[in-house]
Amino acid sequence: MNMPRIYRLLVLGLLATLILAACGQASTGGTAATAPAAPATSAPAATAAPEVTAAAPAATAAPEATAAPEATAAAAPTAATAATAAPAAGGASGTIKVGSKDFTEEFIVGELYAQVLEHAGFKVDRKINLGGTPIAQAALVNGDIDLYPEYTSTGLLTVLKKDPIKDPKEILSTVKKEYETQFKLTWLDASPFNDTNGLAVTQATADKYGLKTYSDLAAKASELRFGGPAEFAEREDGIKGLQKTYGGFVPKELKQLGTGPLRYDALKNGDIDVVVVFTTDARIAADKLVVLQDDKTFYPIYNIAPVVRQDTLAANPMIADALNKLAPLLTSDVITGLNAQVDIDGKEYAAVAKDFLDKSGLLK
Amino acid sequence: MKLLAESYQYFLENQSRFWQALGQHLSLSLTALAISVLVGVPLGIWIARRARVAQAVINGFGALRLVPSLAILFLALPYLGTGFRPALFALVILAFPPVIINTYAGIRNVDLAVVEAAFGMGMQPNQVLRQIELPIALPAVIAGIRTAAVEVIASATLAAFIGGGGLGDFITRGFAVYEPRIMLVGAIPVALLALFSEGLLGGIQRIFSVPAA
Repeated sequence: MNMPRIYRLLVLGLLATLILAACGQASTGGTAATAPAAPATSAPAATAAPEVTAAAPAATAAPEATAAPEATAAAAPTAATAATAAPAAGGASGTIKVGSKDFTEEFIVGELYAQVLEHAGFKVDRKINLGGTPIAQAALVNGDIDLYPEYTSTGLLTVLKKDPIKDPKEILSTVKKEYETQFKLTWLDASPFNDTNGLAVTQATADKYGLKTYSDLAAKASELRFGGPAEFAEREDGIKGLQKTYGGFVPKELKQLGTGPLRYDALKNGDIDVVVVFTTDARIAADKLVVLQDDKTFYPIYNIAPVVRQDTLAANPMIADALNKLAPLLTSDVITGLNAQVDIDGKEYAAVAKDFLDKSGLLK
Repeated sequence: MKLLAESYQYFLENQSRFWQALGQHLSLSLTALAISVLVGVPLGIWIARRARVAQAVINGFGALRLVPSLAILFLALPYLGTGFRPALFALVILAFPPVIINTYAGIRNVDLAVVEAAFGMGMQPNQVLRQIELPIALPAVIAGIRTAAVEVIASATLAAFIGGGGLGDFITRGFAVYEPRIMLVGAIPVALLALFSEGLLGGIQRIFSVPAA
């Protein structure tokens, strides 16, 4: 029997709402994100098929077209749901799961940790490029990974949601204590280099708008287009924090360009005027960019250190010995050089890490 | 349900950014759709009479369709830069096949007897096209535009990956900080927009449909 289309649409809309409501009750709220997109877009495709026979290939491709945006939305909830299903047996001595976040420096340091641990006799399972801080943290808490490299102030500001601290040693001891209490995770020794967020422009832009400090930029922001990682718009140490500390900082546009080279290319092409950098990025020097001065020292110090599950560490105390030997070797010059080898010279990060470890004498 | 309430709260707190993103999303989708209609419909009409060319064109676009839009997006980056242009390019490629194929099928499906009768009455091919074939094929053409519209609106979320803005920005932002409530602020309007355009174009299609005898 052929229902008039409007009734079909209403039934499908009702189904979509019911699915949404059911997902809303589920423990992980993330699944709701995929529910509205899926039924809504595949429903019209299904009704289109009977209309024109030649449209059949077009109709089946419609759900595929939504698969790409859905895939990114689905990756987060499936990481969480898969993790709750899997036993948190990260402590099985022998195999250590090393993760990393989603940009070059993290790939390199994650790989360094992995290779150092392998040399110490562990079997290592790598999960490089998991995603942003919240994804990596969730994976660690759920036992999907046993350790990953994290920045002290990121742990303090983004994960613990506390106010910034000036003294780097105090940051480390605070996050260590809180993580142990709240998450049963701990921090090993931190490396000396500081990789904080920065705002950079070309020399030409700096001259044109008279930009030397963040205060200068805060005033002129409404005339300029900013580009940075997606989380810059949301994080407390992103645009919101800058607005609170400096006032102003309402950009003409804030484009989301990821954590990779795309944002630097966009600056080069003139699609944006100000780029959000990580201060140890290789492209800053390569593109001859000017990093403006944080005159109110809004940005705290971010030192990288391994964050480890306490149960894994208890079962394998050698992890601490191995990684703590690596920690002091990573200075600013070293890490910027390694970043350059990957981002500018185009070498593979695993090879760059191995090369560094061979030369460092750590793997004897 | 608490998630929906949180999403709505986030929307209220970020209204100007939302409307800006919505505007970007709509402008991208409508431009892509307009280009695909302005080029695709005439092309579909043109190939309707030429069987072998039609075969080549349809197979060509079918093959192009198999490349995921995200891949086309990134492949276009070195040539078209970031932002609006590569996103538009990828979406136009996505929208072409349904428009062209449906236009072609619509015209081909016009009853041969009717066309012959028209020629028999002494109409020129031009008049047959404009007065007989196109009006009869119109529902099929609109069906093609409808399919294209829904796909384009949904896929315009990909523009967020390359700085093109649009409602996809909320999805990527929510994903980056792992907050589903922000993702929903992007996902739900996209779904609603797609549903709305489906309903609107479906209605228009029905208006132009020849009632069954």
